[in-house]
Amino acid sequence: MIVRPLWIDQAERGSRLLMQLMVYLALLLGRAGGRALLYPICAYFLVFSRRARLASTSYLSRVLDRRPGVRDMFRHYLCFATTILDRAYLMAKRFGYFDCHVDGADMLLAVVARREGCLLFGAHLGSFEMLRVLAATGCPVPVQILMYEQNAGKLNSVLRNLNPKSSMQVIALGRPQTMLLVAEALARGEIVALLADRVVTGDRFQLCPFLGTLAPFPEGPMVLAAALRAPVVLFSAIYRGGRRYDIRFEPFAERIILPRTGRAEALRTECARYAGWLQSHCRDAPYNWFNFYDFWKHDKSC
Amino acid sequence: MSMNELEREIATLIVEELRLDIAIDSIDPAALLYSEGLGLDSIDVLEIALVISQRYGVQLRSDDVQNKHIFSSLGALANHVAQARTR
Repeated sequence: MIVRPLWIDQAERGSRLLMQLMVYLALLLGRAGGRALLYPICAYFLVFSRRARLASTSYLSRVLDRRPGVRDMFRHYLCFATTILDRAYLMAKRFGYFDCHVDGADMLLAVVARREGCLLFGAHLGSFEMLRVLAATGCPVPVQILMYEQNAGKLNSVLRNLNPKSSMQVIALGRPQTMLLVAEALARGEIVALLADRVVTGDRFQLCPFLGTLAPFPEGPMVLAAALRAPVVLFSAIYRGGRRYDIRFEPFAERIILPRTGRAEALRTECARYAGWLQSHCRDAPYNWFNFYDFWKHDKSC
Repeated sequence: MSMNELEREIATLIVEELRLDIAIDSIDPAALLYSEGLGLDSIDVLEIALVISQRYGVQLRSDDVQNKHIFSSLGALANHVAQARTR
């Protein structure tokens, strides 16, 4: 099954210059000052971005099980904006701003120690960028992140200027050799992280129960893990307010096996397991969800 | 255009490995493999690379400057395998 592009063509709001100014101010003012700036910015988006408001309402009404108010939406935006602001500080290596609690690092390190590589599946939930803390401190192998460069490209290029020799490298999605790069990184025993919750144009997907309604989840990450016979660990970094982030690594699969007969069934099972994991995190930390588009929408007709 | 023996063999491998719902004979050896043409994505390319390596001992690498050409069509891929195969 194939879907239409739902998020990849959503242009980033704001010009590059404005972002540069914002990053400059954030670094100049420090985190307390930077956070103060987020209030008027979030208020602006709450008033003027109808699309984000609709997406936020659609998600929050499901996760909170009630009609969300303006206060809920503002809180949702503010949580998102804070994690973006914090990306700038993470890129600038100001790790001292944060109080990170890490759970499951021993399990991840044990997997990494086997030198057969490891796939980390995350989601647009909390701060994926918190992996930088792991990459820069005490991780024995390089961490590569698989992502679309054209999406969020402006912000990424501004942020990259802060720290061109970042310890976390990006493998760009959308090229023929992309997955060969992933295979080679895993063969060197490295960690490759990816966000496994979004379906992109042309992606095959499985419909899985998610917050009370079936939602499309991409097959790609499971197919990749199966082809490479790589162990899979789940990653989340939830923003708890103030300086606090809770980073968690959880085992997902030693190997994902997709048998020739019953392959679709196996894919559905794996995608549904992932969806279940994501749902439990959403229920636990509802405002950390950052898919600002209609996540449940899919197109079966193609 | 009709296929030579190796092209047909590789086409069969690809169709089987990727569980494609197309007749081998309907594949044009000059058609693009990636995106348009056969409509393969990067994960498909990886699966092809793995099966080619198993079958012919040819390692397809991400940093090969010829990649764009190698993955351009079935014919180009077959040519590359014919030159580099060890079994």
